[in-house]
Amino acid sequence: MVDVSPESLVATAMFFGYLPCGRLPAAKDWKQAFVDTERNFLHNSRSIAAATTVAQLESKLWVTEELQTLKIEPKVVGILAGWYSNFLTPLLLEKMNVNFIWNFEIDQDVKEISYKFNKRYKEQKKYECHITDIMFKEIWRKEEKHGAFDVLINTSCEHMFPMRRFRELNTRLGGNPIYVLQSTDEDKYDDHINCVDGPEELAQQAELTDIMYSGTKILDSGMKRFMVIGK
Amino acid sequence: MNRMMNNILCIKWGDKYDDSYVEKLKEQCEANCSVPFKFWCFTDKPEKDWHIPIPTTLDKFYDKDRGFFWAYRKCYMFRPDLINGDGKSFPDNSKFLFLDLDVIIHQDLKYFFDLPNDKPWIVRGWWNDIHTVKQNYAKHKSTPLNSSVIVWKKGQLMPVWNHVVDNAEVVFFTSPSLDNYLAHHWYDPWNEDDGFLQGFPQGDIYSWYKGNIFHDDMELKKLRTDHKICLFNNSTQTEGANDDEIKELW
Repeated sequence: MVDVSPESLVATAMFFGYLPCGRLPAAKDWKQAFVDTERNFLHNSRSIAAATTVAQLESKLWVTEELQTLKIEPKVVGILAGWYSNFLTPLLLEKMNVNFIWNFEIDQDVKEISYKFNKRYKEQKKYECHITDIMFKEIWRKEEKHGAFDVLINTSCEHMFPMRRFRELNTRLGGNPIYVLQSTDEDKYDDHINCVDGPEELAQQAELTDIMYSGTKILDSGMKRFMVIGK
Repeated sequence: MNRMMNNILCIKWGDKYDDSYVEKLKEQCEANCSVPFKFWCFTDKPEKDWHIPIPTTLDKFYDKDRGFFWAYRKCYMFRPDLINGDGKSFPDNSKFLFLDLDVIIHQDLKYFFDLPNDKPWIVRGWWNDIHTVKQNYAKHKSTPLNSSVIVWKKGQLMPVWNHVVDNAEVVFFTSPSLDNYLAHHWYDPWNEDDGFLQGFPQGDIYSWYKGNIFHDDMELKKLRTDHKICLFNNSTQTEGANDDEIKELW
């Protein structure tokens, strides 16, 4: 029997309530993803549960809601360190009519599992996960394949070097993309190597000069998160 | 015939280990190596003709309070223009065996100099559960490599040195240890034969505090004299806490 935590069940139920269309095929992909994970990626079960929480859903909904409020309608989106991208990819494709999503990840197992959650989008050639370390290798060459990035999203800034480095590596990006960045001041976790005091510091780290949105949200988990949108 | 010039390197800085560790390692090498070699020690207090002063060019990137990438001084050994204790460059046909100070040598070190030179060699901690390694990969935890023993020929680790120098600010910020850095950038836990670095085979090197091979032979604090080398480093232990145990076994 597939072992899914109650927290993940609640988050999953909420998530499908937000999807405006295509709920049933996506739900079937999710069901199969949980079954396959239990069978082939048992060691990832805890991290899948951690990626499938109400707080995770809240933070991803926050991204799409603010983009919609700002009337930003991207066609090509790059998600930096997007993990399984089980919430964000469907929300962007189904709610915002994005054409193509890149997910840049460093974990090969995460890539395989993300293809299970996003099976239909992978098959529709709307989603691709590419293994790379975005703080060491540029991604601008990927624009040749599906067009310039309109929006670049990083909801994991606390896990990595400040985003100015990414921008230095990618000065040749063609589309002058809008950045959507999230981070936190929660420093009790070992892998939170780059916490910030607030959205201002987050924007400063990325050297954003045109700030379109800046905010703070307390998530269901109690974690304080910051988000900035800008160029 | 272009015979390889064998060199055994170690490194000592600060006060974690006293001079007796270096002397003991040198003694162990002399007693357990049947091919000619030269022994060199990189040190911040060079006094002897086999001592090599440790460069300081990377010091500015090290933030003591963060404590990340603390063993960065080992990287100086990877430079192709390495200068030996005589103030000369190592010959082009030099081969290097690096050993941490807290090891016990069980068998002839000739084995390491006879290994093929196609890729550099490093300790693959076979005591790690590969599933845990993969699961914690993105968190920069559960590193499968251990830099306590490394074998390479001159110039072979130049790409590593160049990468560290070119990306020093990010490397020192991101990598909790040298081993973790090497595992992320020069090794692939999903395709272990395809990395820039290759791991010594099972049965060569084991850990006193972590075991030998997951999960078949994980008994701790057990001597395995049919192996080549026993490692005593232990990241979960306070500094100096293993002194008595290794000294009793020297």
